[in-house]
Amino acid sequence: MTNETLTLEAVDVDGAIRETAEAVAGDTRAGFLAKAGLLSGGAFGGSTLLAFTAEAAQAQSRSDVAILNFALTLEYLEAAFYTEAEEMGALDGELALFNQVVAAHERAHVRGLRSALGSAAVKRPRFDFRGTTESASAFTSTAIALEDTGVQAYSGQAPRIKSDAVLVSAGRILTVEARHAAWIRDIAGQDPAPRAFDRPLTMRQVLAAVAETRFIRPARRRRRRQGGSNTGSGTSPRFTG
Amino acid sequence: MSDVISVELLDSRTAVSEALDESRASTRADFFRKAIVGGGAFAAGGVLIAGLPSIALGQKSASQDQEILNFALLLEYLESEFYVEAVDRGALSGETLEFARVVRDHELAHVEFLRSALGNNARSKPQFDFKGTTSDAGMFRATSVVLEDTGVQAYLGQAPRLRRQTLPAAVSIVSVEARHASWIRRIVGKPDYDGRAANYPAPAVLDSPLTRSQVESRVQSTGFIQG
Repeated sequence: MTNETLTLEAVDVDGAIRETAEAVAGDTRAGFLAKAGLLSGGAFGGSTLLAFTAEAAQAQSRSDVAILNFALTLEYLEAAFYTEAEEMGALDGELALFNQVVAAHERAHVRGLRSALGSAAVKRPRFDFRGTTESASAFTSTAIALEDTGVQAYSGQAPRIKSDAVLVSAGRILTVEARHAAWIRDIAGQDPAPRAFDRPLTMRQVLAAVAETRFIRPARRRRRRQGGSNTGSGTSPRFTG
Repeated sequence: MSDVISVELLDSRTAVSEALDESRASTRADFFRKAIVGGGAFAAGGVLIAGLPSIALGQKSASQDQEILNFALLLEYLESEFYVEAVDRGALSGETLEFARVVRDHELAHVEFLRSALGNNARSKPQFDFKGTTSDAGMFRATSVVLEDTGVQAYLGQAPRLRRQTLPAAVSIVSVEARHASWIRRIVGKPDYDGRAANYPAPAVLDSPLTRSQVESRVQSTGFIQG
């Protein structure tokens, strides 16, 4: 079993994940909400993700912001995976349609969460999907894992959310992720709904699962260029997006 | 034919108990029953009021949680009876039949969980008349889409009204209802869904909550509940 802390740090791009975990643990972030400008979430896809009034935004708790940033991190990952798969063009038929539809959903979730978080939003990490966007079979098994994990992540956080408005929005995303999960499972010939009750995971458990994929690239270290040696693993990612 | 029906019933009982074991529903239901009924605070079968009743809309309370879970139980009774009858009527085959069996077992597990959590305060099951929708595969599929989508929207509408301690129950169910909805939409519409997003397993960026009265209107318009 890998050391969970080391694994998280190794892939913690620009401290995005660490920031999220620390905020959960109660890091001081007083005053940032005033600057964040959390007003009524901009419309996207015809629906408003988070209908905050300015007063409600001022009252947003640190922990809700941390939860939203956790959700945003997962949505960044999903959106980037599906977008890269679109660009790869390795899919056809209903799998390509699934990809196109779900990519649009996840990009919309990213926009909605970023809009709701304002300047409190974590930055988008850089990803390396390690070839999983290049074949139908790798794409399918990865998509199943991402969507099932998304369901478990939102389920795990829902009872921790303080604001009812944020809870509504999280619920509205949760059920869409569950639809995605059932859809790709059925395409793959697996049980769309394997059990009567879905199981939640903690933030830590989800982040550990994400870290195991190694999809999130480590933060760039500032280094002097001397001969241009690449300290990376040797696999060059297809996109730096 | 009666042999086949007996085997079906046996399978469903086994599957339900497996589902319950797997989810440890009885343990979780115990936890929720204590949260809702409040341990020794209420006499068996007695009125669920501890102190002043909550008058304000949106005021969270044990009694409101009970009200909401009984509403959920009504919908789960409706769904489970629908699927039990559809499997028994024998008009289904292939993946539609597989869907009906699996979802029946899930909805029965949801009923058992909610009944266990509500204890003596669980509402009784009403009589249903499914108006022939369980005897025709096409009508079954169309009705299933409506029932599952409505279930998702009903849970989304009620979830924020629950006390947070009761919420995990609703959350663990709503995502499964969404999987059901997606699955039957796929059975109906694959592989190209007539080119219409409204037909997709995941038709929208966000699912939309419905209020209780909106859900009740929808259910009433089916005429399925006899009283």
